[in-house]
Amino acid sequence: MKFLDEFRDGELAQKLVRELAGLVEPGRQVRIMEVCGGHTHTIYKHGLEQLVPPEIDFVHGPGCPVCVIPMGRVDDAIALAERPDVIFTTFGDMLRVPGGRGSLLEAKARGADVRMVYSPLDALELARRNPDRQVVFFAIGFETTAPATAVTVLRAHADAVENFSVFCNHVTIAPPLRAILDSPGLRLDAFIAPGHVSTVIGTRPYEFISDEYGKPVVVTAFEPIDILHATVMLVQQLQTGRCEVENQYTRVVRRDGNPRALEALEQTMELRSTFEWRGLGFIERSALKLREEYAPWDAEARFPLPGARLDDPKACQCGEVLIGAIKPYECRVFGTACTPERPIGTCMVSSEGACAAYYNYGRTAIPA
Amino acid sequence: MALDPLHCVTCSDTAVTGVVVGIDGDTATVSVDEAYERVGIELVGPVRTGDVLLCHAGIALAKVEA
Repeated sequence: MKFLDEFRDGELAQKLVRELAGLVEPGRQVRIMEVCGGHTHTIYKHGLEQLVPPEIDFVHGPGCPVCVIPMGRVDDAIALAERPDVIFTTFGDMLRVPGGRGSLLEAKARGADVRMVYSPLDALELARRNPDRQVVFFAIGFETTAPATAVTVLRAHADAVENFSVFCNHVTIAPPLRAILDSPGLRLDAFIAPGHVSTVIGTRPYEFISDEYGKPVVVTAFEPIDILHATVMLVQQLQTGRCEVENQYTRVVRRDGNPRALEALEQTMELRSTFEWRGLGFIERSALKLREEYAPWDAEARFPLPGARLDDPKACQCGEVLIGAIKPYECRVFGTACTPERPIGTCMVSSEGACAAYYNYGRTAIPA
Repeated sequence: MALDPLHCVTCSDTAVTGVVVGIDGDTATVSVDEAYERVGIELVGPVRTGDVLLCHAGIALAKVEA
C-alpha cells in the first residue's frame, strides 16, 4: 500500500540501524523521549528497541490523551452519562478508564446510555436523529483531535442543533513538554516529536526545546522506518553539535501547520488558565475549553458537574511513567494488580499507553 | 475505516491516509484499503477525486504529498 509499505522495508531498516551503529559512541547512552503514544506503540510492535544499538534508550512521554485524563474528569463524564435525558458518546478507549466511581463501561452496565463513536461528527448525527435527547460528546485528545471537535461545534452552530454539546477535555502538547524539561534530575538528550499533532500546529511550537533547553527535536511519522530515520537524524545532531527542530514528516507537516485547523480552534476554543494532568498535576494554560459564544454547545456550561479532584491510586506510578522517570515494568503493580484487562492506571488502558505497549509486546521484565 | 485493531482511535497519532473517491459539499468519501469512510474536508480546502488525505476522527487534516 502506498505510503505504508515503503516505510516498513526491512532492508532499509537494516541500513538505518547500521548507520546508527556507526554514529553512536560505544557505551555512551543517548536518551530519546518519544512524546507520542503512537510512537511507543510502533517501537514495541516492530521491536525497534531491540534493533537499535544498546546505547539508544527510548523513553516514553506523555502523549497519550487517554493516559493523562485525571480521575475526577472521568467521574464528571459518568455523572453526565447517568443523566436520564443524555446519550453520552465517547471514543472507545475512554470506556475503560477508571475514575473514582468506576468506568463509563460500568456506568453503561448499570443502565447509562453510553455509546462509542469514531468521530464527534457521528455524535452530532446522533443528536440530529434523537431530537428528544441530549447528546454529549466526551472530547479528549491533543491538537490532532481538537480540530474535529471544533468543526463539529461549528456545524452544530450553523445548523442550530440545540441538543448537542461537548464535554471538552482537549489538551495541548507543548506545556507538558516544558513541565518535563523542568523536572529536576531528569536527563533527556533529544525528542521525537509527534507527527500528526504537528500536522495541525506545525514545527514552530517545539522551537523552545532547542532554543531554551538545548535539546534536538525531530518531528516524525509512525512507521518503523520513520522512527529509525528520526533517531539517526537526532544522533547526527548530537554528534555534530547541532541543536534544532527538524522535520522528517515532510509529506504532511509544515512549519506553520494547518492554518485552517488552527483558525477553527481559535474560533471555537480558548486556553484554560490551568488543567490537571493525570500523574503530572496542574499545568497552566495546557488545555482548551469552548469560548463563551459557544456556551450552548458546552456541556460544562449546560449541566451541573461534580468537579471533584481525586488522587490517583497510591499503588499507581503512571505519573513517573508519563515523564519517563521509570520504565513501566518498574511500577510496583505492573502486570500483577494492573493489567490491560483490569487496569489501575491509565497507561495500561489505551494501547498507546506505555504500560499497555510493554505488556502487550511482552516487555514484562527488566532486561538482563 | 481500516485501523490497526491494537491502535487507539483517540490517540493523536492515529490518523490514516485515504484516497478521495467522492465529494459532497464539505464531506468527502475516502477509500482506505477496501473500506470507505465519509470525512469532513473543511480544514483542507478544495479536494479532487484521487487526492490522498490524512484523516483523523472523521476529519481530513492534510493532503498528503508524495
